[in-house]
Amino acid sequence: MKRLLEVRDVSRHFGGNAAVDHVSLDVFDGEAVGLIGSNGAGKTTLFRMIAGELALSGGRIEFDATSLPHRPDQRARLGIARTFQIVQLFGGLSVLDHLLVALQAHEGRQGPMRDVLWKGSSTPEEEQRCLETLRLCGLSDVADAPATALGLGERRAVELARALVVRPRLLLADEPSSGLDAHEAARLARVIALARRETGLAVLLVEHDLHMVEAIAERVIAMDAGRVIAQGTFDAVLHDESVIASWLGRSA
Amino acid sequence: MGVFFGYVLASIPYGCAFSLVAVGLVLTYRATGVFNFAFAAEAYAATVVYSELISHGVQRGWAAAIVVCVIAPVFGALLDFGLFSRIAPGNRTAKTIMALGLTVILPQIVETAVPSNPPVPPAPFFSTSFIPVWRIGGDPVFGSAICEVAGTILVLIGLVLLLRTRRFGLPIRAAVESPKLLELSGVDARWVLRFAWMISTALAAVAGVLYQVGSGATVDPQNYDLLLVVSIAAAALAGLRNLPIAALGGVLLGLAEGLVQGYVPSSSIWYPALVPSLPFLFLLVLLIFHPTLRHLEDTIDPMASIEPPPPVPAVAMRPPIVDRTIRRMRWPFLGVVVFGVILFVPADWTEALTEGAALSIVFLSITLLTGLAGQLSLAQWMFAGIGAFTTAQLAENRHWPILLAALAGALVAGVAGLVAALPALRLRGLPVALLTLCLALLGDDLLFPTSWVSNGTSGVPVPRPSSIFGIDFSSVDSEGFFVLTVVVMIAVAGIVHLLLRGTTGRALTAVHASPIGASSSGVQIRRMTILVFMLSASIAGLGGAFYAMNQQTVSQDSFVYYFGPIYLVVVVTIGATTVEGAITAGMAFALINNALMNVPQSVGGTQLHSTALTVILLSLGAFTYAKHPEGIVEYAKRRLAKTVFRAVEHNDHPLVSAEDSA
Amino acid sequence: MAGALSVSALVFQDVHAQYGPYKALNGLTASIAEGESVAILGRNGAGKSTLARVASGLVPVASGHLSVLGRSVARTAPHVLARMGVVHLPEGVGLFSGLTIEENLVLRVGGASRSARRRRLAMALGGLNDELRSRRRTKAGLLSGGQQRLVAVTAALAAEPRLLLCDEPALGLSPVAGDEVYAALGRARDLGCALVVIETRLDRIEHLCSRAIVLEKGVAVYDATSSDQGGILDALTGSRGVS
Repeated sequence: MKRLLEVRDVSRHFGGNAAVDHVSLDVFDGEAVGLIGSNGAGKTTLFRMIAGELALSGGRIEFDATSLPHRPDQRARLGIARTFQIVQLFGGLSVLDHLLVALQAHEGRQGPMRDVLWKGSSTPEEEQRCLETLRLCGLSDVADAPATALGLGERRAVELARALVVRPRLLLADEPSSGLDAHEAARLARVIALARRETGLAVLLVEHDLHMVEAIAERVIAMDAGRVIAQGTFDAVLHDESVIASWLGRSA
Repeated sequence: MGVFFGYVLASIPYGCAFSLVAVGLVLTYRATGVFNFAFAAEAYAATVVYSELISHGVQRGWAAAIVVCVIAPVFGALLDFGLFSRIAPGNRTAKTIMALGLTVILPQIVETAVPSNPPVPPAPFFSTSFIPVWRIGGDPVFGSAICEVAGTILVLIGLVLLLRTRRFGLPIRAAVESPKLLELSGVDARWVLRFAWMISTALAAVAGVLYQVGSGATVDPQNYDLLLVVSIAAAALAGLRNLPIAALGGVLLGLAEGLVQGYVPSSSIWYPALVPSLPFLFLLVLLIFHPTLRHLEDTIDPMASIEPPPPVPAVAMRPPIVDRTIRRMRWPFLGVVVFGVILFVPADWTEALTEGAALSIVFLSITLLTGLAGQLSLAQWMFAGIGAFTTAQLAENRHWPILLAALAGALVAGVAGLVAALPALRLRGLPVALLTLCLALLGDDLLFPTSWVSNGTSGVPVPRPSSIFGIDFSSVDSEGFFVLTVVVMIAVAGIVHLLLRGTTGRALTAVHASPIGASSSGVQIRRMTILVFMLSASIAGLGGAFYAMNQQTVSQDSFVYYFGPIYLVVVVTIGATTVEGAITAGMAFALINNALMNVPQSVGGTQLHSTALTVILLSLGAFTYAKHPEGIVEYAKRRLAKTVFRAVEHNDHPLVSAEDSA
Repeated sequence: MAGALSVSALVFQDVHAQYGPYKALNGLTASIAEGESVAILGRNGAGKSTLARVASGLVPVASGHLSVLGRSVARTAPHVLARMGVVHLPEGVGLFSGLTIEENLVLRVGGASRSARRRRLAMALGGLNDELRSRRRTKAGLLSGGQQRLVAVTAALAAEPRLLLCDEPALGLSPVAGDEVYAALGRARDLGCALVVIETRLDRIEHLCSRAIVLEKGVAVYDATSSDQGGILDALTGSRGVS
């Protein structure tokens, strides 16, 4: 398998406090990796560095064997899509519009020139592609609804659809099951599995919910205090003593 | 020592006033999230009231006490009760707009109420302010200066002690982030905010009572511009957080200002330009490089989800038949209006309507930048000025055809827009408003007065086009130009409409709602921001060119900076999210202004100043903004849509009925 | 708390509430006794968070009758209820990110007298884990979301609540941290505090709550109480509205 994402010796400090401390990890093409760890272990910080939201204090990150550009939008156009722990939807836009924004940005067909010369805000092909993604995510019925008015389960699905519509190569999912009930979380996991089967998408997943990690990830990486403490299969990592102590507790 | 020390000694009192206002700005901002542009206006009002009280025979010390301890706190409480407490905590745009509205309106109201400027009042203590109390190394120390320094120190110490308390200090820092969460902690957040307003207004009053400018002269509101400018710079130096730095910054800037005034000879060509611009240049540098200011608006209220969602746009709730009717009727309607104007309206009203159309073009630039991109620019009127001056100079000195010159003017204004866009790449919200205010003032102070731009107060003549595409309308000058301006306005409105409804509108809505979400979806925020700023500045420049053609001359007084904020407030309150809003605002401004100009010169014995009254009238709308952030036009349309829907469909629209019961 | 049966902690009678045009509670009727611990279940959007917000005064009652700790409230301000002993741990992090951890604790634990404030603050600091305690002078905004959550939960428990409303207290926490939070909630329950816990995970409430109310479209559709025969999960099994 080809190495898609390569994180080498990455660190990040916040005012003298090392949130991420010389972390290295890989995600291979088409692979789903779960990132677990206690609160404040540095998962989200690492995640934001990979997405381009935070600058590195040290180390390097490569995608597809080339070093990553700085800004999130540049990384998005390379094929790195992302969902957020606190849902980041666009108030005032419909569900379909959310996908159109992402799709048109990805294709570079967005801006004043197009609007003035074309007179239209979307082509039938663009809409078709967005509707297909919405169907995949089970959102066909709410395509025209204002996205922020939906329930949390559907809002998370909209975020996922917005990420998937551009057929990304790597999906960064930050606690996608947070706040969802078991039913909604399972539905989201199914969508991710389906997308992986269709497009060979790689996934890096930060998650606290055991079932979600088990359902999606083939490999699990555990962090504590800014470092990687264990990695391997789901079962192996979950039986690791340090993981039980710092993350899992008596639920094991 | 002598001269230098003299300058230092003379500027310390000014520095104290700057300190007080800077501290007040920071305090209000930290407690309430409102950047109170109106602070200097409040200080001015306090000075006037103080002076009036003294002239009515109230003893000075008592007058000062009444102003600072009674009138100002009550006024502050009223501001909070009537205006600022009604804004949703997270709505920063509304807060800025309201503060701007207040800044615009307060001096106008004071000037209308007290028509002749009252004399500069004496200091509250010491027998005579302008006789030296003692001398330091031969330099005189006036009673007023002692009053000012002692008063400032006392007030600042009191404030620091107050902020140390658990009961007030801690809640006041928490309130700005989330009043709701503060309430959940058992603290009455409403009163914390109200108390903060009372304190900060009292600070403005202290500054007003102590601020002594122009000995023996009258109280001139223009002197308070400097007070605002310098204190904004001092507050920015403190990152809008740190009270001691704000206080210190005020004193230091006062010193710097005094030294520059002292050492740069007043005959120098630099003097009139440099002195007022100094704090702005300083502020500009701060805004771009100060790390705290860049992240000023990064925090979000953790309880924001409790606020009800904004209302649905009127378009979404209109029954389809209304849409069809509007689509079919708009061109005939426009034709009737235009021909009606040509045939029946007297020339001065035609010119007013033309001015309205030209203003509408400028206002459409605000629709694009503020309504769509959510950036508050106070420099749109300066961009209009740049367009106008470029047009005038090219036509007058290079003999370009006027319409070609106007296009060039729009382009040059667009390039100027780039200057505003580059810093705006790193800033959002309030810092952009401050930055554009800087630019507007620099334009007004440094650029427009120079002879190669405006020819000073004598101005540059601007011809009107006499023919276009072979159609000669020189015989019906004002009507022909009216039609031309309306055509250009419609074209610009069409472009802005396409952007609002197109991919740009969608992407910018996304960026406005969630910058990180949009950026992670691949939206190129930088490119979009630059394009929109430039496009918006070009549109403003084009509008400015037509405005100048309608005036037929343009001078340094044509594009005064403070119309930037005024127009922003007017457009946003009338409706910045639709093209109709901008056109309504432009027409309303020009027509009301013209109507007031025709009112007899003396009404109730006061001199009627039509522009001032127009400004007051329209800025009052700012106070509807808290309740209807979508704008008056949009609100009216929704009400209308509701009525029409009932009449047409005989049943309740789901969205309409939901709102009805709210 | 003289006479354990004298007052109900929370009584909803046909309560309606809404945000702008969106109706969130549609005639909710339910009653929670003092010292009782109740889980609120239901789909997202069923009105669970609104129930807590109405009870703490954040959202006004549009119609119907609500009484909190024996006092009838309709438009009572949240701070009044907070001083009566209603502690609401809202969804989201529930901290002021611009204040330090310690300042957040001081503010959130409240207390009428100086000694009460000291006692509560000491209790809150004692409830923090070592890492957080050593960083108590750092701005809360610099902590991770989960760490902020832990601080907020600690503060809520230290505020000596009579009625504690928790909106998904373990959201975003690792399994072990979530267990700790629920253990702490159990201790609060044992001290006689009425608990209302909004949760999406059934396994969490198993040991904490003796009763569960299921909401759907703003009304209570099912009310289950554990009995000698089985725990709360058994009581819920087979009921509609639980998935």
